[in-house]
Amino acid sequence: MMGKRVRLENSSSASNCTHPGLIGGLCIKCGETMDNDDGFGGVALEYIHKRLRLSLEEIIRLRDKDFRNQLRQRKLYLVLDLDNTLLHSMDVNKIQENQEQFFLNRGIYKVERVRKMTKLRPFVHTFLEEASKLFDMYVYTMGCRNYAVEMAKLLDPEGVYFNSKIIAHENSTDKSKKGLDVVLGKENAVLILDDRESVWEGHRDNLILVEKYEFFGSGVTAGGTDDENDGVLDLVLKVLQRIHASFYDTEDLDTLLNRDVRRVLQDFRKEALKGCKIVFSGVLKPEKQHYWKLAEKLGAKCATKRGPGITHVVSLDSASDLSCWAIREKRFLVNPEWIDAARYLWQRQPEEKFPVTNELKIAPVTSCSVEVC
Amino acid sequence: MQLHPRHFGRDLRDKLVSKLMKDVEGTCSGRHGFIVAITGIENVGKGLIRDGTGFVTFPIKYQCVVFRPFKGEILEAVVTMVNKMGFFAEAGPVQIFVSNHLIPDDMEFQSGDMPNYTTSDGSVKIQKDSEVRLKIIGTRVDATEIFCIGTIKDDFLGVISDPNATA
Repeated sequence: MMGKRVRLENSSSASNCTHPGLIGGLCIKCGETMDNDDGFGGVALEYIHKRLRLSLEEIIRLRDKDFRNQLRQRKLYLVLDLDNTLLHSMDVNKIQENQEQFFLNRGIYKVERVRKMTKLRPFVHTFLEEASKLFDMYVYTMGCRNYAVEMAKLLDPEGVYFNSKIIAHENSTDKSKKGLDVVLGKENAVLILDDRESVWEGHRDNLILVEKYEFFGSGVTAGGTDDENDGVLDLVLKVLQRIHASFYDTEDLDTLLNRDVRRVLQDFRKEALKGCKIVFSGVLKPEKQHYWKLAEKLGAKCATKRGPGITHVVSLDSASDLSCWAIREKRFLVNPEWIDAARYLWQRQPEEKFPVTNELKIAPVTSCSVEVC
Repeated sequence: MQLHPRHFGRDLRDKLVSKLMKDVEGTCSGRHGFIVAITGIENVGKGLIRDGTGFVTFPIKYQCVVFRPFKGEILEAVVTMVNKMGFFAEAGPVQIFVSNHLIPDDMEFQSGDMPNYTTSDGSVKIQKDSEVRLKIIGTRVDATEIFCIGTIKDDFLGVISDPNATA
């Protein structure tokens, strides 16, 4: 039976609806057509459906609801970058024909649809399998959607890890960076893995920076042995497992509801250089300098003057006053990469591996006065 | 319907009809909905030669079966994707979204290998390939597709069959 279609646009009953979201201009709760869905505001979640928009209230409601769901399953959220984090891709046209067959023989994928050859990072399948037991996982790439979907097929051929949770560059609200606004997970329960910090402005506290993975480097025709020794995903998995265990060290729901994984991450990071008291030399000296802040994040105490409690001097110049003092007083003298290493490896590294050779150069920080210490 | 002169000849009418079927079946019109199948040709008018080309345009009147879901209609659909916002289902060419606002409150989202909505006692489950009976509460028809919002919150709506149930 064909009924007459009732036009509800002008009826008052439809306006009882809070219109939590729109798909293709249709309200997902009352089915009414919204005349101008641009005036709706909210956040576009195009990666779920190309014409989906949710109001901010609805996103908050969904996040809270899903957080309880995750707590029941003792899971957190993990947002994964693709390029240089889980894999490395190269344009097919930059690879010579004889090289192409060589790569194909070594298990590297050729993805025709996006014209790339792709090498997955060692250990990635085990990493995803183990991580999926503890985390609800998203893919978030600065690449385009087609690329994201193809890479997800390589990483997740059964489609069980990511499902519709694949976010590409064009799905970001601000296209110049990545944002957690499009992720349906509460920010206090999200961890991010990425080799780049700059794209996650505003969410640095959720970020675990990983060492950049590059397989197709210049002069990598025989790339292989180095690659197999890339143990980054193995290490990161252990870190994630420990952070997860630390977050879920209680059964009490009320405690968990108020927990913040960013805090757990912060505390965990502080173990790396715990007990170190560092003084910086030369251009590294100013308090706002990158390495000073990083060292503090990693749990070290930083000082402006030499003194009895100092354990480490970080310098670029082995002949400086401060460097000489360190050698005389038998304190550790290291170059700043020692701090980077602690960050990537989550613990203090042997100081002798990071001598000050005067060959290291770092980019000068703007507006910093160089003091001779 | 436009036809290239190479088709003019004895089988002109047949060629016209096959081209019509090829071009029109499976498309969507705002007024009529989705054109499923042509059932009869009522009339083929006189052809008009187009200026500058040899193509000839014939007006054709035909009957066909259309599918146009309307508000309040109850349909059976197959679930294609489930996520924390709700689920997507298909009834032929029509895609329907049922948000979690319109899923009974006693059904909760379960993530995992096979995301689904399940009652607390596990007796009813909606997952990919489940068949559901739903009610359309809003439609949108554009040039290439029909999209609807549906609900399963009313009586007699919900899962018809569980794909994993033993026969």
